[in-house]
Amino acid sequence: MSGRQAIALVARRELRERLRSRAFLLSTVLMLALVGGSVALGRMVETERTYGVAVVAPAPSGLGSALQRAAAPFDARVRLRPVASAAAGREELAAKRVDALLLLRDDRLVFRSNVEARLAAIADTAVRALRRHLPPTAELATATLEPPDAEATDAATAVAYAGSLLLFMSLAVYGQWVLTGVVEEKNNRVVELVLSAVRPRHLLAGKVIGIGLLGLGQLALVAGLAASLLAAGAFDAPASLGGNLVLVVPWFALGFALYAVAYAAAGALAGTQQDASSVGQQVTYTMLAAYFLGYVAVAADAEGTLAHVLTVVPLSAPLVLPARSALVGVPLWEHALAVVLVLASIHALVRLAGRVYARGLLHTGPRLGVRAAWRTGQKT
Amino acid sequence: MQALDDCSFSVARGRTLGFLGPNGAGKTTAMRAIFGLVEPEAGELSWDGRPIGPEERLRFGYMPEERGLYPRMPVADQLEYFGRLHGMRAGAARAAASAWLERLGLGGRARARVEELSHGNQQRVQLAAALLHEPELLVLDEPFAGLDPIAVRTLAEVLRAEAARGAAVVFSSHQLDLVEDICEEVAIVDHGRIVATGDVGALRRRSRRRRIELELDGAPAAWLPGVPGVELVERRDGDLRLVADRDVDPERVLQEAERAARVVAFSYAPPSLAELFLELVDR
Repeated sequence: MSGRQAIALVARRELRERLRSRAFLLSTVLMLALVGGSVALGRMVETERTYGVAVVAPAPSGLGSALQRAAAPFDARVRLRPVASAAAGREELAAKRVDALLLLRDDRLVFRSNVEARLAAIADTAVRALRRHLPPTAELATATLEPPDAEATDAATAVAYAGSLLLFMSLAVYGQWVLTGVVEEKNNRVVELVLSAVRPRHLLAGKVIGIGLLGLGQLALVAGLAASLLAAGAFDAPASLGGNLVLVVPWFALGFALYAVAYAAAGALAGTQQDASSVGQQVTYTMLAAYFLGYVAVAADAEGTLAHVLTVVPLSAPLVLPARSALVGVPLWEHALAVVLVLASIHALVRLAGRVYARGLLHTGPRLGVRAAWRTGQKT
Repeated sequence: MQALDDCSFSVARGRTLGFLGPNGAGKTTAMRAIFGLVEPEAGELSWDGRPIGPEERLRFGYMPEERGLYPRMPVADQLEYFGRLHGMRAGAARAAASAWLERLGLGGRARARVEELSHGNQQRVQLAAALLHEPELLVLDEPFAGLDPIAVRTLAEVLRAEAARGAAVVFSSHQLDLVEDICEEVAIVDHGRIVATGDVGALRRRSRRRRIELELDGAPAAWLPGVPGVELVERRDGDLRLVADRDVDPERVLQEAERAARVVAFSYAPPSLAELFLELVDR
């Protein structure tokens, strides 16, 4: 039997046994409910806002009141600012004295750099209502004065931080599953029978892949729901952010492979269940440190040197890259470098963990140090 | 730490080898080494003249000393899983699992989770997991430990049948009468070294000692045969158990006895496996 077959068998068992468990079903439902709930919550906390809109004088009569009427359902108000010409209006817009410039002659609504979805909807409704007496019915085209600027919008920030938090939590939860799985196998002694037929590194790989696929499926479901809600405009944010959210999924796969292997090795080295949680904590704390460092660095300056470095450092890349990608965009070469470095680390870690794993799994009694396990561990 | 040193023994297809030794002698370590669970620093393990590697091990069956199965996994699924890990196809593994469950009297418990079974029944599942894939070599670490007499008989039958099928069977045990009953060969290990290995009968005959049993009627209370090289092992009522050097002539002991009392029974034989064991691992 080839190694791949053995890995597939182990992974399949992990998947099947865990899909049977109620805990998995419950956590999936819970996460989906969280995403759905955040939409409702977002709706509730949306604040009233007053938009300034420049319009070339003379403004058609009734425009002001039509705008107010259209704005009411959005909990917003619109303040009209007549300007002498389109050029003057652009100046006002550029100077940030208004939020948009309405050019009725061109059927255009011009924003500074980012299209404000709520205001665009209000203006569109108002103009259409106004023109019901003046056929043909027209809709407004939106435009921006400058190319969409690199400065992050609130929505992008939310997606970035929610995405990396989701990632961090998924990594921790599924990593913990790997840890407990390994310790259980060791504690109920079945591991000796398994290892009589399967090489330790294949058992390790199968376990990580099986649990990882499960996590990936769950995360894809949740991120997919969030992305489609974004696309449907439920979050009042540009739909393109959905793409950044989906980036969370492949980075979960990479991040999980990295951290799960570490969790598995920790489980193999632990003597008892209590021991396992304390060894597991070392991995969790490492990940937590990477997460917070990434959070602080990106929040301080998403284009700063530290943020750039953390984007490619394997331990933090999975947690930082999707966030920065949502906030400021990450060049392709940085994506590529991060992926290559993470893959290389996974390869190295699997070799290390495979050896430690083999030795640790059959070791009972006090916790085994990594160094001792490596020294006496066999080449797997 | 060195657990094994100079530990050579072999077993052929269709033969059964009892692997004996006091606790801590290195039996489990030797068995684990067969499965690559510990790596010997020196020495070699071979099967059919080739070094034992992962491919060979798939054709071996193992029952570790530390029993263990997945507690929440149904019995039949579990056996199918282990069969497949040994390279069986899904259908064949399923069929073999249900055949073994039937044979071991667990036919009705295929869907039960392992943790729902009694300890004895878990042992049977463990045995099935070792046998499912028709191994060429069967290695069982203390398979008789903790079994009731009925289960002992079943297991002895299974082991004989496995050897008859052509498997090489190795098992460790402290129940030496059982070993003597089932095995053609033994290997006795002490302090990590093999102190004796080979055919049970030949080993017994090769011993430098002989056992003599006497049943006397009317012998003086403290009577002993005055023959050099003969020692008392046990005296109960009129029965004496003696151990003699191999070159002591049993005729002389018998003549001495007849002079002292009426001899009801007299026997002279090589030591039993148990006596041989104690002789060899004498501490």
